[in-house]
Amino acid sequence: MKDSLIISKRANRLRRLASLLANGGLLTVTSLSMIIVIFIILFIARDALPFFKLEGFKEFFTSTSWYPAGDPPQFGAMAIFYGSLMVTLGASMVAVPLGIFAAVCLSDVLPFQVKQVVKPVIEILAALPSVAYGFFALVILAPIMQTRGPRLFGIAAWVALVPAALLAAYFLRGFVDSRIRNEKFRKATRNITFVMAIFGFFVIISRISSFFSGLTVVSGTNALNVSLILGIMALPTIVSVSEDALNSVGRELRENSYALGATRAETVFKVVIPAASSGIVAAVILGVMRAIGETMVVWMASGNSSQIPQPFYNFLSPVRTLTATIAGDMGEAAHVQGAPRYHVLFAMALALLLISFVSNLISEWAVKRSRKKLRGESS
Amino acid sequence: MGRETLQKKTAGGILLKLQNRKLLDKSTTIINYASIFFMTVALVILLAPIVVRGLGAYIFRGTIEHRKVIFEQFQRGRPEILQNELDQVQMARQPVFDMLKSFETELDEMEGRESREMNNQLKELKGLLRELYGVLPGERDPILLRKQYGKTRWKDAREVFHQIMQAEKWDYSDPQHSRLVRFPRRDVFQGTSLEPLFDYLPLKFRETMRPRLVFYLHFLLDESKDAHFFGGIFPEILGTVYLTLFAILFAVPFGVIAAVYLAEFAGDTRFVSLLRSFINTLAGVPSIVFGLFGLAFFINTVKLSETKSVLVGGATLALLVLPTIIRASEEAILAVPREYKEASLSMGASQLRTIVSVILPAALPGILTGIIISMGRAAGETAPIIFTAAVSVGKPLKLLETFSQPTPALPWNIYNLCTEHEAVDSIRHVQFGMVFTLIAVVLTLNITAIFLRARILKKLRG
Repeated sequence: MKDSLIISKRANRLRRLASLLANGGLLTVTSLSMIIVIFIILFIARDALPFFKLEGFKEFFTSTSWYPAGDPPQFGAMAIFYGSLMVTLGASMVAVPLGIFAAVCLSDVLPFQVKQVVKPVIEILAALPSVAYGFFALVILAPIMQTRGPRLFGIAAWVALVPAALLAAYFLRGFVDSRIRNEKFRKATRNITFVMAIFGFFVIISRISSFFSGLTVVSGTNALNVSLILGIMALPTIVSVSEDALNSVGRELRENSYALGATRAETVFKVVIPAASSGIVAAVILGVMRAIGETMVVWMASGNSSQIPQPFYNFLSPVRTLTATIAGDMGEAAHVQGAPRYHVLFAMALALLLISFVSNLISEWAVKRSRKKLRGESS
Repeated sequence: MGRETLQKKTAGGILLKLQNRKLLDKSTTIINYASIFFMTVALVILLAPIVVRGLGAYIFRGTIEHRKVIFEQFQRGRPEILQNELDQVQMARQPVFDMLKSFETELDEMEGRESREMNNQLKELKGLLRELYGVLPGERDPILLRKQYGKTRWKDAREVFHQIMQAEKWDYSDPQHSRLVRFPRRDVFQGTSLEPLFDYLPLKFRETMRPRLVFYLHFLLDESKDAHFFGGIFPEILGTVYLTLFAILFAVPFGVIAAVYLAEFAGDTRFVSLLRSFINTLAGVPSIVFGLFGLAFFINTVKLSETKSVLVGGATLALLVLPTIIRASEEAILAVPREYKEASLSMGASQLRTIVSVILPAALPGILTGIIISMGRAAGETAPIIFTAAVSVGKPLKLLETFSQPTPALPWNIYNLCTEHEAVDSIRHVQFGMVFTLIAVVLTLNITAIFLRARILKKLRG
């Protein structure tokens, strides 16, 4: 009896030791991710710093002349930074509204069965390799944009603006209706307003449409092309992360809102989205990050011209981004290791890394905040 | 009274009217549906041309030249049948060559400007015929393989045929807008001994090429000849498979162990939350930065291999997919019902034992799902392998060579073929075929994962 107790005690101790060892071993392996991140920073910075030592900061950030192979070489990367910014902004203009509306649709509108069909679409969009997107942008979209682009923009303007115009005219009619007291006068005026408004809007739309049709697209590989494709690539991230955020808002809040007589749109926009706002911010940041860090699409379809477009919002002109520059110039620069030409690419990578770290921190903070907020509200 | 005045006094008041609120609600719903619709349409627009034209690399109408290439370069096909066909084709082509010959003798008798003019025209025509039929009789075999054979695909052959029938020239009559005009080439050779060619060719063109529907499944298994002008994409496929396997082999052990730790051992300490945020950070690092890191660390510092190699590329890709594997595995482990674990512990099994023989088997389908998705990701990533593993042209590697040698890989060669190749337009079918193959591989992996996940969900719900 006593023996077995001792044995079990020893076994217990052994077991505890084994568990402790296992814990330590597992922890070491788990820390690998941390070590990798630190190594990435260290090694990118190690090769990036010589550039700043050799060439200084000023030219890199303020000049737009990028001739790394020239004599003397010039390393003005401002246009490249601007290209990245422009393409990212363009992508978020496509992806953010669409993504949030789609997420709302998934979380609040569609019935369960339909959702099961839609979700794989998002997963497939997310899974497609970036080089396939780039191939599509370069081989299929670019020629179409170059030959038939303006006409398509014109059609797109009609398709997008006509429903909006009808709705606006209808509300204008309502507004006039509510402002005039005289019963007889009111009916006539509101109908006249309605017709006039529709007419006016159509004139405006046809102006806008003909403006688009009159544009000339010099090259199909431009910022617009890339923005569209990057927007579609960023969509799945934005949709799935913000859908999670919207779902985690919980039924009670929604039910309370409906009980007060709110419509679904009011519930979504005034209750659910504000409650999930931090999560949606995180979603947007993650989506935008995908656009900044994307290489193949911009390398293949952005035109790779290191200049700030004229005027600066001209999405039809070619641009060049950080990622594409790294990918494109390393082939030649790798032969001259140690030259500023080689290190400047690491400086760009370091900039990318910093951007991604900062946005990651912000998004993590946003997610944490939203979790805390929702927990606080539901309890 | 209060509501009434609010409606009438403020511009926003109209938004309070029930009718308008309903309308707004409906329009929002329409926008919601429209965004989903847009996404689906975008996917269809993306995939449709790639699938349709990509299948064209596998199924197409091949001419006699295709069968000749396959026989001479890849030693497939029955020689007696091919010879028979070649003889018949030769017979059909002979009149064309005869006409060329008699025109050349006619040309010798011409003089001065007319002769020069005609000579140029003949050169152009001969160039087109060479494109169509390969080497013309009496000419020396060209060095480049692509010039030894004619058009292998009926669609391309027809295009050349149209070029032969319809000449193009620039019209400068209006100095402001010079434009390209088409006119029958027959006009050029009016009255010469070449004129009958333009009657003969439309009649007998099919006989000179003998198109037939081909299922070229060997596209997957053939090496490419002469920079992808002929043959298939085997080296690229093999390279992609190697890279994916290496990445998974490196990433899975570390990823699953990390997941086990995070799910089963880690408490809610500061260090653990720091670890988690480092994993998130790793997931957010742009893929091109992984490539640079692979170059700076694995090749320049650790010297895992002298130059780019599959090993280095695989290791770099492993870093990229590590966070995905960790997250998916952790989720799978957390989804295992508590009762399993409690039952095992109460039977006296140690924690390690419980993990290895109870929790991990139960979580296996979920972990597999994560691994499959990561495989899709590793197979499709291009940026990390540009500086670490990929080359444009190469032989298929043996297993041992992967430690020291770079390889062609599908994603990189897609980029390379549609931007840097010397004849981008004439090998479109290969490009589409590659993209289609890559997408097919990635989607098959992902759809497997989706089904696997659906089954797990069903099982968990009971």
